[in-house]
Amino acid sequence: MSEVRVLIVDDSSVMRKIVERSLRQAGLDSLLAYEASNGADALETLKSKPVDLILTDINMPSMDGLEFLRQLRSQDLAPGVPVVMITTEASLDRAKQALAAGAQYFIPKPFSIEQIRARVLPLLKTA
Amino acid sequence: MKCTTPQCLQETHPGLCDAKNLDAGVEEVFGMMLGVNCRRIADAPAAEMETEQGIVTAVIGLGGVLSGACVLRCSARAAMRMVGRMAGMVFAEVDEMVEDGIGEICNMVAGAWRNKVPELAASCGLSVPAVVSGSGYNLHLQALEFQLQCAYGFEDVRFTVSIAYGGLSQPKPRTA
Repeated sequence: MSEVRVLIVDDSSVMRKIVERSLRQAGLDSLLAYEASNGADALETLKSKPVDLILTDINMPSMDGLEFLRQLRSQDLAPGVPVVMITTEASLDRAKQALAAGAQYFIPKPFSIEQIRARVLPLLKTA
Repeated sequence: MKCTTPQCLQETHPGLCDAKNLDAGVEEVFGMMLGVNCRRIADAPAAEMETEQGIVTAVIGLGGVLSGACVLRCSARAAMRMVGRMAGMVFAEVDEMVEDGIGEICNMVAGAWRNKVPELAASCGLSVPAVVSGSGYNLHLQALEFQLQCAYGFEDVRFTVSIAYGGLSQPKPRTA
């Protein structure tokens, strides 16, 4: 697989590192990771950096993950790019909101490498 | 373990004060994110926590049907060990990254616990984390009457998790 460009959106810098490491451990050896600490930062990043995949938290200051998704879709910033939400907000309502806003998958924290491998990597093969 | 929840609430909402839910949440988070087998231990290790490097406390606010907080408290050394294990790094001091990581661990523990309590799963929100580090401070949670507190450990790392709350309101009926 050629280099995969991933945008990781989380207000925790530690969690961004862990998500990146998890992607590598799941098999994405050739990975270019961009980071953003909230939805507004992520939208700015996407204006200049095309990506193949977006992984985002929900609970973030400034602009949360759901609003980020809505803005992403309404501004058509990353058409066709799969979005996976990785969050502690794992209620069914939240999952429905995320999917309705355009997320492909909803992975609850804590997560395993197996979940990343099973849920995230197939999205890249079909994107 | 310490539980100060009144008997009436224990009877109407047994999941709230059942330490097994908290145990399961802690074990899930530490097993999946740190790769360690973390278990409840007998007593709160207050004496072990106070070291020269101080204490780290992370707080996640609980809102919605339950008003309260989830508090994770540990020594600076334990905080560095926990975040180091989770991030695959070694820390020599409690810097911003350690504080950030402890906040995330507390956030995941709060979320995992909440998801195991049926009466809370869909109707209790979590705040972003707040983290305090240093020595010689006390954390006062205003107007929170009830508390479930347990101590946990893995290897030589010890910490406590407390769920403190002021009461439980009835969830609002859903409208179509």
